[in-house]
Amino acid sequence: MTNEIKPINMPKWGMEMSEGDINAWYFAVGDQVNAGDDLVDIETSKIINTVTATDGGVLRAIIGATGETHLVGALLGVIASADTSDADIQAFIASNTSAAAEPEVVAAVAAPAAAAIETAPAPVAIPQAANGLSKLAEGEDDSLVAASPVARRLAAEYGVNLNNITGTGRHDRVSKSDLDAAVLAAGGRLIGNASTITATGAAQFGDDSNVKATPVARRIATQLGINLLECRVSGDRGRVCKADVEAVAALKNKMPAQTDGSATVSSSNTVESQPISGMRKTIAARLQASKQTAPHFRVHIDAEIDALLEVRKQINNSNTDAKVSVNDFIVKACASALIRVPAINVQFDGEQLSYFSNADISVAVAIDDGLITPIVTDANHKGLVEISNTTRDLATRAKLGRLKPEEFQGGSFCISNLGMYGIKQFDAIINPPQGAILAVGAGEQRPVVKDGQLAVATVMSLTLSSDHRIIDGAVAAQFMSVLKAYIEQPATMLG
Amino acid sequence: MTTQQFDLMVVGGGPGGYVAAIRAAQLGFKTALVEREHLGGVCLNWGCIPTKALLRGADIAHTLKEAEHFGFAFDNLSFDIKKLVQHSRSVASKLTHGVAYLMQKNGITVIDGSASLADKCLLDVEHEGKVTQYKATHIILATGARARNLPSIEIDGHRVWGAREAMTPAALPRKLLVIGGGAIGVEFASLYNDLGSDVTLVEAEQRITPAEDADISALAEKAFVQRGIKVLTNSIVQSLDTSSADTVALISGPDGDQHLEFDQVILAVGITGNIENLGLESLKVETEKGFLQADGFGKTNLAGLYAIGDVAGPPWLAHKASHEAIICVEKIAGVDAVKPLNKDQVPGCTYCRPQIASVGLTEAQAKAAGHSIRVGRFNLNANGKALAINEAEGLVKTVFDENSGELLGAHMIGPEVTEQVQGFGIAQQLEATEHELAQSIFAHPTVSESMHESVLDSLGIALHK
Repeated sequence: MTNEIKPINMPKWGMEMSEGDINAWYFAVGDQVNAGDDLVDIETSKIINTVTATDGGVLRAIIGATGETHLVGALLGVIASADTSDADIQAFIASNTSAAAEPEVVAAVAAPAAAAIETAPAPVAIPQAANGLSKLAEGEDDSLVAASPVARRLAAEYGVNLNNITGTGRHDRVSKSDLDAAVLAAGGRLIGNASTITATGAAQFGDDSNVKATPVARRIATQLGINLLECRVSGDRGRVCKADVEAVAALKNKMPAQTDGSATVSSSNTVESQPISGMRKTIAARLQASKQTAPHFRVHIDAEIDALLEVRKQINNSNTDAKVSVNDFIVKACASALIRVPAINVQFDGEQLSYFSNADISVAVAIDDGLITPIVTDANHKGLVEISNTTRDLATRAKLGRLKPEEFQGGSFCISNLGMYGIKQFDAIINPPQGAILAVGAGEQRPVVKDGQLAVATVMSLTLSSDHRIIDGAVAAQFMSVLKAYIEQPATMLG
Repeated sequence: MTTQQFDLMVVGGGPGGYVAAIRAAQLGFKTALVEREHLGGVCLNWGCIPTKALLRGADIAHTLKEAEHFGFAFDNLSFDIKKLVQHSRSVASKLTHGVAYLMQKNGITVIDGSASLADKCLLDVEHEGKVTQYKATHIILATGARARNLPSIEIDGHRVWGAREAMTPAALPRKLLVIGGGAIGVEFASLYNDLGSDVTLVEAEQRITPAEDADISALAEKAFVQRGIKVLTNSIVQSLDTSSADTVALISGPDGDQHLEFDQVILAVGITGNIENLGLESLKVETEKGFLQADGFGKTNLAGLYAIGDVAGPPWLAHKASHEAIICVEKIAGVDAVKPLNKDQVPGCTYCRPQIASVGLTEAQAKAAGHSIRVGRFNLNANGKALAINEAEGLVKTVFDENSGELLGAHMIGPEVTEQVQGFGIAQQLEATEHELAQSIFAHPTVSESMHESVLDSLGIALHK
């Protein structure tokens, strides 16, 4: 097996992923690599994950250099034994890089190479394989199926549901060989096998005519050449909405090239240009789309929070397992107000206006190099302590990049709080397809006039940005007055 | 100055704390570790590692004694205990530096000082009289434990040694009393007996190493007595009279009271958690019998506070602390499929001669838990390798559930069994039955073939018995 050449391909982690940024290689060309070694970190719009080696050998070539962006399935590197000739390696790279760029010529290019290299792709089998394998993926929770630990882990990698595999191991346990046989029977290829080459190019997504999508989303996707299967689904009734297509479009299009700044800056002012991260691209695309499509208007109100602070102190002092923050109160108050004023608790995809029965509140969390909005679901049904513990868990995992897509995609309302930085008041941009976002400033002591007397109160400034296409000024004002009442009389939100 | 803020802070730099900090940093937490004395904790500085360095010396002493059996003879053999202690200390110091390097490599902020909770998620660190406050979303207490005193007998560091003094002796004790026949006590008894002291070991329970299976304890006692260690079980040291040159101990046992003289005493009667001065009382953090109360993932009753390792209760073992550290941090980070600690899968090792190692339930515990069991036994005197190295004293005992075939427990005494017990631990973790173990091929000639034979014996098909 000395002449085997094994590709390292851009993996596909989840529906949304169409490309990834090469973050860092753990090895240099010429290094010995063992199966299971961490090879390269890939950054996508939401996560950084590591590709591990399925085979051992020498890392002979790196095609995807650090900082570059490559499509899913693209060849990133080559592992082979030390005695494989450079010519063979070059032939392999030539055949596989063209495969990623132009899938329809794969067969022609790969054919001559196949004689020398066992690893030529077999594109014909891909659609069938995808079909057969997707059948294997269906079924109920398989955690109770008897299976060896190795088989269970491989099944998770294949995405195979163990209910579909007949076990022939001891006590009818599903063994690795049972799983291998089923995957091969379904037309799939085995993980760790030299002939494994990820499907590349357009073939990876397939026919999108059955994907549920809004008419606008479908038309834009056609115009932009985007497959609807590439898009995340954040529209109502499980449909791909316009914003989802635009997010993919933003990911695919490079951001405008950096202007040549060398002529305009002084020589002492050095410029360091680098491509922006996947997450930054998503933020850029989504917020630009929001500002361009949703006419924002803002309403502003001040709320006194002395009573709230007192209740907070009581809760935290009487309950050891509670560390309720002011923001947790705001989440709870918003949830209560959203139920009272359901016209704010909405999503809008440009055509369809969707009202929600529960308040799923996105909370903006600042993380390294960006921000993310994990969702406190059913906040109207959760107590303060539960909201607090949920938010702490979500924020912890958000900073670590460990949120599941469903934990940050969706939501019917958003809160952005910059109070901890001492910001008095600010405006936020709506998180589409939501209808409104609340910007929360710092609670601070301010002079207030009560009954004609000057007094001191702890006051917080709140600003609501609303999409005027669907929310009118009076509705926004009503929401803010209800919200203020909940915040100033915190006992009422406990009811 | 604004309060410095971390995602996660660890209090205590032992094998629980520093492992928690590394795992947290790996997962992307902004992490700090507070240590009041030495990185590495008791394990590296005053426990596992330095005692193993000393016990290596004991092994050499033993080998030299039996060298004649293999045809060697030599005169003028001398021993300088100071050099052995020096070796032990240099190993400890090397490893402490290793931990400091790991903290630096992982970008962990190491803070010198004594920490106490000022409030939820708020830590005061006192260092040379100056108090600095830190904020952390998650705080893990890994403050460890220390030797317990008896009401009538206290460690004074002079006549009565604790483990610390016992591993840094200036001279070899002539007549040594070891109070406590648990893991720490038997290791010191074994060490000083091999080095040449006249050792008496006193245990209040019926047998030494009372946490181990009864068959193992019986063999350990037999081996100790053969080596010349006086073993007094069911016995209690009532008092120590230190008024004369030698300490006089009043020991009461099954045969009545007796006064015995010693020039040195080691107290090793268990440990108590370091829960003082942590600010736990005012925040109503739950403790019980000197240890913090936490769930299977280390979470305490206080928001954002966790406890791992010795301070969170038994078993008081470094590898249990490290394992708790990993699952505690991974649970906080939301890593998939983190399982709570299963205390029946924590192996225990005692490095006396012969060594003792075990994992899971003893025969008595398995019966008490209602299992119908199948027991396998294999004596090392039928093992070729053990005979060849002249250490054929030992036993491998396996306890299986008769119905499911689950390996409930494995108990070993003999040469290097502390290296072999991992095999049973892996089998247990993979839920292997006696059949998988019976079908596994064990290499020959090895002491670990006895593991295989013990399993075969549980099926009634041992080959060399």
